[in-house]
Amino acid sequence: MNKAVISILGQDRPGIIAAVTGILFKLNCNIENINQTILQSEFSGIFIASTPSDISNDDLCAQLAKGLSHMNLHVHIKSLEHKDKGFSGDRCEPFVITTIGPDRKGLVAGITAIIAKYGVNVTNLKAVFKGGDNPSDNIMIYEVDIPDNTDQNLLRAELRKKASELGLDISIQHRNIFMSINRI
Amino acid sequence: MLSEKEIISTIEMLRNEHLDVRTVTLGINLFDCVSHDLNTLKRNIQKKIINTAGNLVRVCDRIGEKYGIPVVNKRIAVSPAAVFGAPFSASQLVEVAKTLDNAAKEVNVDFIGGFTALVEKGIANGDRALIEAIPHALAETERVCSSVNVASTRAGINMDAVLIMGKTIKKAAELTALADGLACAKLCVFANIPEDIPFMAGAYLGIGEADAVINVGVSGPGVVKKAIDRAIASDPNLDLGHIAELIKHTSYKVTRIGELIGREVAAGLKIRFGVVDLSLAPTPNVGDSVGEIFQSLGLLSIGVPGSTAALALLNNAVKAGGAFASSHVGGLSGAFIPVSEDLNISESAKAGYLTLEKLEALTSVCSVGLDMVAIPGDTSEETIAAIIADEMAIGVINKKTTAARLIPVPGKKAGDSAHFGGLLGQATIIPVNNGRGVNRFIRFGGLIPAPIQSLTN
Repeated sequence: MNKAVISILGQDRPGIIAAVTGILFKLNCNIENINQTILQSEFSGIFIASTPSDISNDDLCAQLAKGLSHMNLHVHIKSLEHKDKGFSGDRCEPFVITTIGPDRKGLVAGITAIIAKYGVNVTNLKAVFKGGDNPSDNIMIYEVDIPDNTDQNLLRAELRKKASELGLDISIQHRNIFMSINRI
Repeated sequence: MLSEKEIISTIEMLRNEHLDVRTVTLGINLFDCVSHDLNTLKRNIQKKIINTAGNLVRVCDRIGEKYGIPVVNKRIAVSPAAVFGAPFSASQLVEVAKTLDNAAKEVNVDFIGGFTALVEKGIANGDRALIEAIPHALAETERVCSSVNVASTRAGINMDAVLIMGKTIKKAAELTALADGLACAKLCVFANIPEDIPFMAGAYLGIGEADAVINVGVSGPGVVKKAIDRAIASDPNLDLGHIAELIKHTSYKVTRIGELIGREVAAGLKIRFGVVDLSLAPTPNVGDSVGEIFQSLGLLSIGVPGSTAALALLNNAVKAGGAFASSHVGGLSGAFIPVSEDLNISESAKAGYLTLEKLEALTSVCSVGLDMVAIPGDTSEETIAAIIADEMAIGVINKKTTAARLIPVPGKKAGDSAHFGGLLGQATIIPVNNGRGVNRFIRFGGLIPAPIQSLTN
C-alpha cells in the first residue's frame, strides 16, 4: 500500500466530499485523514489515503479529475514522504499571536517573516478581515509552536517593533491561557 | 484548535475590561527567625525574606508576559509579628516594622503584611506591644501593612481590644495628619480573619500554613460589568436568575486565570501554591469598578434601596463560579466595596447615596467590611471603636469575615475630600452619627460572648 496526499480546490457546493470519497471508495482507497475549510466561497480539502499498489498517483489523479469534472475542481496528488518527518512540535511551546489593526497590504507577510526567521512554526492561521475603518474588525490569529530554545525576549521585541510599524496592536500569549479560560 | 470566539473574547477582557491578576502574594513564615536579641531577629528576617522572595517580582513579570496578563502587584505576607516578636517592646517592634519595610523595598514588592496581632479572646504581652507600636510603625514605614483580629465566631468580640483599636486608629491618623491619615489606610481590624488573604492590608501568613506559600488575588469587576451590559443589550428581558448565571460564568474565567498564573509562579519559585482569592477588587480607574456593576444592574447608584440585594446576588454568583473553577479558593473571596479605591463608590458617597449605615448593611452580604472609609477627623476614639464593634458583630454572628479600615482624616470634616494616592485613591469624608459623643457601651469592655451555633435566625 502507498499513501497519497490528495488536495482538492474549487468553488464550494454541496456534494464535493461525497464525490471525492465516493471515487476513492470505488478505487479501494482507505481514507486516513481529512481536513477541509471554506474561505469566502472557495472550498479546499486535503485527504490522506492509502492506495492499492496497482494504482499510480497519475491514475488516481485522472480518475478524480474525470469524476469531479462536472464540479470544476482542481485536483493535486503527491505521495506521502516518510523520509523527512518535517517540523516537529515536540520541543516547542504553543503560543497564540494576535494582531489587531487597520487592514493594509503586507500585514501577514511582515509578521510571518519574523516568525519564520526564529524557526517558529505556524500551526493555524486565521485572518478575520472584515474591512472598514474599525480596527477591531481586522484581526489575525496565528497559532504557533515556538521552539524551547528560542530567545523569546528578542522574538517578542522584534514582533512588537514590526507590529508598531504596521499600525497593529499585537499580543503574544501562551495557548494555555485561552484553554484555561474557555474550556472545562 | 482554538475558536475565533475564544481568542477574541479573551483578548477583549484583557484589552478593554481591565482583566488582570491584582496580586500575587508570597507568604513567608518567620518563626524560625526568632531570637531574644533584636538585632539577630532583624538580621534573620531580612535574610529570610530576601532569600525567599528575591525572585518573586522577576518570576511574576516573566509569567505575566508569557500569558499576556499583567500581575499588577507583588506582595509579601509574613507570620504575625506579635507572635515572632513577642519578647520585644513597642519601640523595638517599630524597629522590626522598619526591617520588614527595608526587606520589602529590597525585593521590590509594594506592600508587606503581617504586622499583625490575633487578640479575639485575650491580649498577650506581645500583642499589647505590637498594637502599641502600630501607629509609629505605619507612620514611619512606607510598605508595611497591619491587621488586628479582635473577634471571631468561636471566641466572641474582645471589646477591650476594640477600644484599644479605636485609640490606635486615632493616633495613627494624627501621626500622618499631613497625608490625610494615610497610616490608617494600611491598618485593618478584623473579625474571623482568614489565614491566607493575598489582599492588603489584611494579608498575613497564618500559623497553620507552610513555610512559604503563593496566594493569588484576582480582579475583574470590569469584566463582570461588561458581560452584564452586553447580555442586557442583547436581551432586555433577561431576568436576575440569568444574570446570576452570567456572573458565575465570568467569575469562572477570572478564577481560572488566577489559578494558572498562581500555580506557574509557585512552580517558578519552587514554593507551594495556596489559594485563589475570588474577590472582585476594584481600582480607582473608570471601567474597573464594583460600584459600576450596581448601575449595570439597574440601580441609580450603589447605596440606594436594592443595593444590598444586588450585592448579595453578585457576591454569591462570584463565589459559585469561582468555586467551580478552582478547588483551592480562600482568602476573602467576595466583592470588595472599598470606598476610596473605587471611583464610582467614592462618588456615590459624595452624592449622599451611600451612608455609613448603608455601607454597614452591605457588608453583611459581601466581603470584606467598612473598607477605606474616610470619616471626620474629630470622630472620637469611642465612636471609632463603636463602629468597629458593630462591624465585628456582623461578622461574628453571620460566621463570616468582616473588617474595618477607617480613616479619621485629621482636620477635615464631612464633605471634605481626602487623598491617599495610587491604588488607595481618594474619598469624600462621610458623616458619622454621634461622631463626637461619649459612648458608655464601649467603655464597659470585656468579652461579648460567642454566639450559639443553633437557633440561627
